[in-house]
Amino acid sequence: MKKNTQKTLLALLLILGGVGFLIMKGVSDTGVYYRTVAEIIEDGLPRQRGVRVSGSVLPGTIDYDQQRLLLRFTVRDTEQEDKTMQVLYRGVRPDAFREEAEVILEGRLDGAGQTFVAETLLAKCPSKYESEVRRQ
Amino acid sequence: MNMVTLGNLSQAAAFAAALLAMLLLLLGLARNDLRSIEAGRRALAAVALFTTMAAFALSRLFLTDNFQVEYVASYSDRALPLFYKATSFWAGQKGSLLFWAWVLSLYIALVVRNTRNETRRRNTPYIYLVLASIVAFFLLLLNTVSSPFTLLPFTPPDGQGLNPMLQNPGMIFHPPTLFLGYIGFTIPFAYAVAAMISGRLDPDWLRKTRRWNILSWIFLTIGIILGGQWAYVELGWGGFWAWDPVENASFIPWLVSTAFIHTAIIQERRNIMRVWNMVLIVLTFLTCIFGTYLVRSGVLQSVHDFGATGLGGFFLVFLVVTGIGSLILIAESYSQLRTDHSLESLLSRESTFLFNNVILLAIAFSTLFGTIFPLISEMVTGKKLTVGEPFFNQVNTPLFLLLLLLTGLCPLIGWRRASIDNLKKNFLLPASLALAGGLVLFVLGVRTFYPLAAFSLAVFVSATILLEFAAGARARKRLTGESLLLALPRVLWRLRRRYGGYVVHFGMVLMVIGITGSTAFKQEKEATLRQGQAMTIGDYQLRYTGFRSFQDRNRTVYAATLGVTRNGRPAGEMTTERRYYINAEQPTTEVSLRISAREDLYLTMPMIGRNNEITLRAAVNPLLVWGWVGGGLMVLGGIMTIIPSRRQKRRTT
Repeated sequence: MKKNTQKTLLALLLILGGVGFLIMKGVSDTGVYYRTVAEIIEDGLPRQRGVRVSGSVLPGTIDYDQQRLLLRFTVRDTEQEDKTMQVLYRGVRPDAFREEAEVILEGRLDGAGQTFVAETLLAKCPSKYESEVRRQ
Repeated sequence: MNMVTLGNLSQAAAFAAALLAMLLLLLGLARNDLRSIEAGRRALAAVALFTTMAAFALSRLFLTDNFQVEYVASYSDRALPLFYKATSFWAGQKGSLLFWAWVLSLYIALVVRNTRNETRRRNTPYIYLVLASIVAFFLLLLNTVSSPFTLLPFTPPDGQGLNPMLQNPGMIFHPPTLFLGYIGFTIPFAYAVAAMISGRLDPDWLRKTRRWNILSWIFLTIGIILGGQWAYVELGWGGFWAWDPVENASFIPWLVSTAFIHTAIIQERRNIMRVWNMVLIVLTFLTCIFGTYLVRSGVLQSVHDFGATGLGGFFLVFLVVTGIGSLILIAESYSQLRTDHSLESLLSRESTFLFNNVILLAIAFSTLFGTIFPLISEMVTGKKLTVGEPFFNQVNTPLFLLLLLLTGLCPLIGWRRASIDNLKKNFLLPASLALAGGLVLFVLGVRTFYPLAAFSLAVFVSATILLEFAAGARARKRLTGESLLLALPRVLWRLRRRYGGYVVHFGMVLMVIGITGSTAFKQEKEATLRQGQAMTIGDYQLRYTGFRSFQDRNRTVYAATLGVTRNGRPAGEMTTERRYYINAEQPTTEVSLRISAREDLYLTMPMIGRNNEITLRAAVNPLLVWGWVGGGLMVLGGIMTIIPSRRQKRRTT
């Protein structure tokens, strides 16, 4: 093999190694687990990592303070309907957010392990614009 | 004639013509019969005629409000403005598929016309055959599982209307331009495959398809930019790119085709990297189809979610067959494709192209990896682990910066083998300018690494490009005695193929500036205001001064007016709206924008309370406008490189 080809190959390998490392590190730094509400209640949460939960909004539990932009509600497991969890979200209530709406939350449990503090809240309303996951 | 019948018949006839073309071409190839191949060529051209008729029928159905047609009923209604009725054509997946088949057949008709005197060549029948098979695949889907002409058992009084968020000019051109790009890569792919089957492996296929490649790349670029623009002005979350699976699906082929366009230059000049280029064009085509598969299959969650449509399986089969077929072909022609001479030096322009390729593909790979990661992790570990925006930003930012560095290095390094001395000489000015720029920013208070690096590199690359421009103008001045002012535009035009490339690069630099500014220095704030109250963000103060509501065509509009002051000085008024469309359950927020060279002030009103108190979301996005300007330059530069010159017919280089 020519010396130049060797050098080029070496440089390429270095880059590929770097990219591999970036991807691995990216996954471990930013990866988020999917959990159902029932799973969280039973197993708790991994402390370090964020979690993504999906469920539906329990009717009659929505409490929104428009002045302070605080949204509290209870989310229900999509399958096991008796499993529920309280949620706190700081921010604007999404348009599609209503009773029975399907929501996807990302965040973690608070210190007491009682309330799920959501950093992002996506609501999907069960209508013909189902496709429209509004980013909020 | 009944438009539904016309549509169905034309669609079927188009499919039949494509099959007939395949049959005739195969026969002609088997018996070495030119007449049969010529007949196949004509059958292939006829496909375009029939798909055009089908497209005409679907447009008529939309314009005449024929709601018995399921597709029309799902995406239009009587109150919809005429313009949007016409463009509802591609609002859903069935119409998109027809649009796809239509454009592809038009492209094919163009190829068929341009090659009418070349049917004797060994590779031409294979080009036709590959194109006929691909268009037949789309027509098969249209005729069997996904026909836009399917009727409802009854006629609803009105349609369900077009999603209000799609009622935006940017959105109207975003899907078709993306499609024009996706579909365009079919042509070079067909040429490449034909070259391998027929054994005509000279760079002829590359030269013939250069314009197709660049044109498709331009359309992809426009499509992606329009998508970002649409997200920014319509979706109201304040950004333009969210690494959503469908965005990624358009970005991945863009990256791969960008890589291909670069190494195609190397092959043209030096006749090396021939295997590599085959791989890249196949990858480009496959990623285009894969993008379609991602959108249509519903395997991933996305804003663009079209729901599971049952088309996913078909695309997956097509993808696997095409992928394996291409792989076998490349393996079989490997011995003829590979070249003896390789790169002569690590320090050469060729090698910067190679590294640019590796990085572009690395970004494509990490983007693909992140997109399908939830599927992989569930298959491998059984646990559902997903990655989102932070992943893509964290992994791709350093790679993009490396790419930017290479963009600047490339013109400084000579072909074949550059000398260190030469490099030092070329390097001095751009590097010191970049350093100085970085220093100034540091003093001004920019202390984070990535923005500092991005802006310094932007200076570096701009300087190298300017040097190239200056060198070109000086050379022409010496040659012709013209003044520099006259020589510059003339040399740019003369050598537009080369300088167009630099214009694209400069566009990319501006885009980096826009993206860096608006992401690293973004300010966001939300507040609820009663009339008379004010909020501040950045240098701005926003006072809620008025509220009104009115009826407008197919929607009710609630509008709040805000008095804006900047640094205490009045800076006009802004109005932000919420619109309730008659046919939609959810209201939409109308973004209010105040754009300047320095920064965008971005306002939405996500909520209106009982006593007209409004919740306001405000954002300041510094430098973002330069990103859009850069996007425009990228497109312009691309166009520059493909404008034919009169002399080009005689000269090949």
